[in-house]
Amino acid sequence: MELELLVALGIGAALFGIGVYGALSQTNLVMIIMGVELILAAALVNLVAFWRYLHPEVMSGQMFVLIVMAVMAVEMAVGFGIAITRFRSRGSVEMEEARELKG
Amino acid sequence: MTASVFFLAFFGIAAVWFGIVVFRTHSMVRSALALLFAQTAIGAMFLVMQAEFLGVLQIMMMATEMSVMAIFMVMFMMDPGGLGAMEMTHQKRLSVWAGAIGLVGAAAIVGLADWGLAGSGGQVPSAGRQVELLGLELLGRSMFVFESAGLTILTAMVAATMVAITPPLKGGKNGT
Repeated sequence: MELELLVALGIGAALFGIGVYGALSQTNLVMIIMGVELILAAALVNLVAFWRYLHPEVMSGQMFVLIVMAVMAVEMAVGFGIAITRFRSRGSVEMEEARELKG
Repeated sequence: MTASVFFLAFFGIAAVWFGIVVFRTHSMVRSALALLFAQTAIGAMFLVMQAEFLGVLQIMMMATEMSVMAIFMVMFMMDPGGLGAMEMTHQKRLSVWAGAIGLVGAAAIVGLADWGLAGSGGQVPSAGRQVELLGLELLGRSMFVFESAGLTILTAMVAATMVAITPPLKGGKNGT
């Protein structure tokens, strides 16, 4: 049982590392959103593993998963809203061309 | 090694592999499809962990979400097929280091933490009973959190629509 928990958490750690790399290395806004999605997916894996192998009788763990899924949907909706505005005003969603946002 | 460990590792490695492919390919559409496969593999992991409702929800939600993402990729990218092999990365060394530190840090916590309670919890409820208990949880003790999440999604939908329909800035590249 503990081995399964370690496997699931190890996969979560790997997904988190890949997501951080993607979110920091990509120049395209949509690709950055993909990196953040992977980070949140790592959180989902961890939450389900904690629920299943530590406290399967308490449903708060599954409730947290639903909240993280809601966060994923919100992040994508707002991210694409910003991307559309950016594309309409500048013709590109490349972050290299968005240095003026630094202020 | 039990069957559940094998399938958990199999789908987990598939998720990690497709996660790597997302940032390795030059084609944006392939990136979106690779992320879809990664999310589907994660959904399969949920099914292996007996969280049937969440597994099916994850697969259905992510299939829709990644399809939308692929459409946006085709809309926004000059070269969505990746035929020009454009360079789309920056600060590579910093990113690799940050990702590696994140991975090693999380793996260290996983390895060093005391998981003595693992497996000592109660029995996993059946799939039908899980949905019933989750419904009671969401509409009982966690109702405030659940309703807050719903309100947040509604606010985000309105905010995203309002941001997207804002007229282009005067003086911008495509502005009037």
